[in-house]
Amino acid sequence: MLGTIGEVLINASFLSVVLAAVAYYRCSSGGGDRWFRRANWLFAAHGFFLLAASGILLHLILTHQFNYYYVFKYTSSDLQLRYLVSAFWGGQEGSFMLWILFSFLMGAGLMKWTRKSYRGPVLFFLALTQVFLMSMVAGIPIGDWTMGASPFRTLAEAMPNAPFIQTNPDFVPSDGQGLNDLLKSPWMMIHPPILFLGFSMMTIPYCFAMAALWKRRYNEWVGPALPWTLGANVALLTAIFLGGYWAYVTLSFGGYWAWDPVENASLVPWLLGTAGIHTMIIQRKSSTSQKASIIFALLAYVAIVYETFLTRSGILSDASVHSFVDLGLYNQLVAFMAVVTFIGLGMFFYRYRDLPSQDRESKILSREFMTFAGAMVLFLLGLVIILGTSSPIIGRLFTVSPTPPEISFYNDWTMPLAIIAAILTVFGQFLFWSRQTAESLADELTWPVAATCVLTLASIMLGNVRDIYYMVYILAGWFALVGNGVIMYRLLRQNSKLIGGALSHTGFALLMLGILASSAYNEHLLDPTMAGFNAAVDQGTAVGADGLPATQKRNFFQLRLNESKVVNDKYRVTYEGYTLRGQTRTGQQEYRIKFEPADGEGRQFYLTPEVYPMLSSSSGANIQWSVDPDVRTGLLSDIYLYVSGSSYVERKNRQAEEQQRRMSQGSGAAGGTGGLAGNMADSQQDTPADTTEADSMQTQTLSLSRGSTVTVGSFEIAFNNYRQVPEGELDLPDSTMIAVRAQLDVTDRATNSTASLQPLFAIYNKDGQSWSYAPPVTIPGTGDVSIQFSNVKPESGEIELTIRGLDETYQEEWVLLVAEEKPLISVVWLGTFVLMAGFSVSIMRHWLREREKS
Amino acid sequence: MKPKLIIGLLCIVGFTSLLMYNFGNSISTYVNFQQAQDMEGAHVVGTWEDSRDYGFSMEEKQFSFYMKDEEGNVRRVVYPKPKPNNFEQADRLVVIGSMQNGVFYANDMLMKCPSKYNTVDAAEVSGTQTLES
Repeated sequence: MLGTIGEVLINASFLSVVLAAVAYYRCSSGGGDRWFRRANWLFAAHGFFLLAASGILLHLILTHQFNYYYVFKYTSSDLQLRYLVSAFWGGQEGSFMLWILFSFLMGAGLMKWTRKSYRGPVLFFLALTQVFLMSMVAGIPIGDWTMGASPFRTLAEAMPNAPFIQTNPDFVPSDGQGLNDLLKSPWMMIHPPILFLGFSMMTIPYCFAMAALWKRRYNEWVGPALPWTLGANVALLTAIFLGGYWAYVTLSFGGYWAWDPVENASLVPWLLGTAGIHTMIIQRKSSTSQKASIIFALLAYVAIVYETFLTRSGILSDASVHSFVDLGLYNQLVAFMAVVTFIGLGMFFYRYRDLPSQDRESKILSREFMTFAGAMVLFLLGLVIILGTSSPIIGRLFTVSPTPPEISFYNDWTMPLAIIAAILTVFGQFLFWSRQTAESLADELTWPVAATCVLTLASIMLGNVRDIYYMVYILAGWFALVGNGVIMYRLLRQNSKLIGGALSHTGFALLMLGILASSAYNEHLLDPTMAGFNAAVDQGTAVGADGLPATQKRNFFQLRLNESKVVNDKYRVTYEGYTLRGQTRTGQQEYRIKFEPADGEGRQFYLTPEVYPMLSSSSGANIQWSVDPDVRTGLLSDIYLYVSGSSYVERKNRQAEEQQRRMSQGSGAAGGTGGLAGNMADSQQDTPADTTEADSMQTQTLSLSRGSTVTVGSFEIAFNNYRQVPEGELDLPDSTMIAVRAQLDVTDRATNSTASLQPLFAIYNKDGQSWSYAPPVTIPGTGDVSIQFSNVKPESGEIELTIRGLDETYQEEWVLLVAEEKPLISVVWLGTFVLMAGFSVSIMRHWLREREKS
Repeated sequence: MKPKLIIGLLCIVGFTSLLMYNFGNSISTYVNFQQAQDMEGAHVVGTWEDSRDYGFSMEEKQFSFYMKDEEGNVRRVVYPKPKPNNFEQADRLVVIGSMQNGVFYANDMLMKCPSKYNTVDAAEVSGTQTLES
């Protein structure tokens, strides 16, 4: 019922925005204010219907109505409230709705704040883009084809061929599939809304540029468009930063940037938008570059639509780890892109002769030339990245089934462009604030260049930089930092409102230096054996187990429980066990890894990476593990660490495998995944204990430290804490000197039931001698398996447990660790923040000036 | 034509051709094991041959398994990292590396897992149903 209302509301919203577009068109082509008011009402109705539909969708999600496909697909009943809310934009349909909602809000702002000469056309183009976006979620069947994917589809509508729907069309699953565990992160709650805010704001320069072409008013539009473009820029930058930070701290691909298509999809519009900002600024100052401003405003938005197409049409599903799958929107997205591009470029070329052209060429040493050149470099950067991202399409020119380009393609092209951009920022800023001749500029730059050289030399020596290319890059980075810093200092003393540009460029310089340091000087932490092996691989002397030369380096190392290894001569690393307590996700293990300085001087610290089963995709017979790295952030360097394998995970996998084999045995299908069990470090479990005799009790002792967990047979024993036993407790022997209880959680993995046991260890006095009293405690449900708290080791803080009646033996615990030291990642974040601050200062300045004018 | 325009055009042509040339070199095409024989950085697509031995060897510090490419050739693949966490779930694998003596040494491996971001397939839902009934 609610779903039907939702569908009706979406269709009503779609219809109103179509009518609003028509009305804005009438208003712009001579209809006047009457039509403008009508159009505004229609546009407001569009927003109102959409808000109501969003409310219904949110309600369906919050009340767990799993008969709706969207609710079933992205939520589950155990999801926390905040993630239920964020599931609204967790899928394609909902994220389109969020995008449209934001664009509607922008439209409401434009109604109020747009100059009269532009407002009709601007809102017409905004309504036009809304029509396309609405069509993505409309869900209107036209013959065999459905326009858009409605968020209100029921399961039966979304999956008519599923067998369970055919047997029972009214089937309602008891639970949904849940949100992808990787997305259960606070960063992912705020990242998508900010991204869509950026997308919708970037629509506005496009609308203004189109309005300028339509109304042949090519100059004044940049004034009002500039703050919006800057706003879009800050929103996209924030979204990129959040995405990068999330990737760094939750994904195990090792960094904040991987040139993934989805990442590029937000970077390219940012680059093109920033190029547009540069040309708009020169247009505002000196009435040149109208053509370039219009083109960049068009392209920034086209890039958003194009990258939306790439990531949402399913075309990249082979190339990217996280592009969406095709929802049947391919044709619609192509149509959207084609219309936006053709109307844009068509109008541009139609008006081309009419567009103002420059009377005189700008001199090279002018702010116009430098700023324009900067915009061109940003444009080329965007072009290179678009080309790489488009490899599934453009790559067909070269080969039949193209792979994505190697990462080096991006690095090789962006590095020189960044060097050029860095140098241009300094010349640009020096020329922007005062007229310069070659001589006066050389004069002004003497000291900055000298400082740059000193700083570069120092960096090269301190960082032990050997690569000449990197040296040039560092030189350019420092030059940009010093040069823009000087300008910023001067401006701060004159008029601090003007520092936006210089501040942004300083941020860019910092970002440049930070990126090189953290990626090129990223170091794997390895124990001496692995480091030795890798050195042998480099020399070509390494030999693999098959007797052939080994050519592949290994970038991980193994640690046994409570064993320490020295890595890179720098840290002594110890694995202190894992705990299953205090989980935020079911089945999550938190590993305790201690780092101490190898020379013993300095502070020790702990890293606690996690491994957890992905609930949305694991089944009893198959567990899909996900890892959550831990990062120790520092001013000079970060340590990034994750567990890429552990004995616990191995055991769980083996149990799942056995379960699968048992299940499939009946049907005759052999599981047949014996594995290279012989190679595994702990293969004891595979040899059944056939030697035990009925009357001889198996006894084994094991030590464990507080907070750690061990596995014995099918039991997991977690030692949580000690508890001092107060005097006078009943079962204590007379003249007890000291008595402690160990608080243990014993989990039977077969039944997954946990029992809390508190075995006693007491020392008492008898006949002048000390005796210990430690009665064995039986594990409930086992009958004859008992645990005795047999000793305390004060020197290591460990306790000793004696276990009787268990056939299987205690297994060795180990982890495989991937650890990296990443220098100066803090500078990357700092650069990003400074960039954001710089753009924000500019927004304020341009916005306030526009307000004064109107 | 003005000389400036000519220089500009030459720059654009030069930049574009260099970029496209480089781009063409940096992408390759998905191949099978036979074609990968003399290639560096070959991308081979295939499926895990789960009837043969596989696993991580602590002694050699590498993961190895058998993979069947789209032509049906089965080869041993060696991957110098621990076993990826979702290896068993992947319904398609892409290994990137080179062949040596009939063994494929993968420097990188991409796994395409059915349930990560994709639409649910019917089997999964019916699984939910049986659990419930």
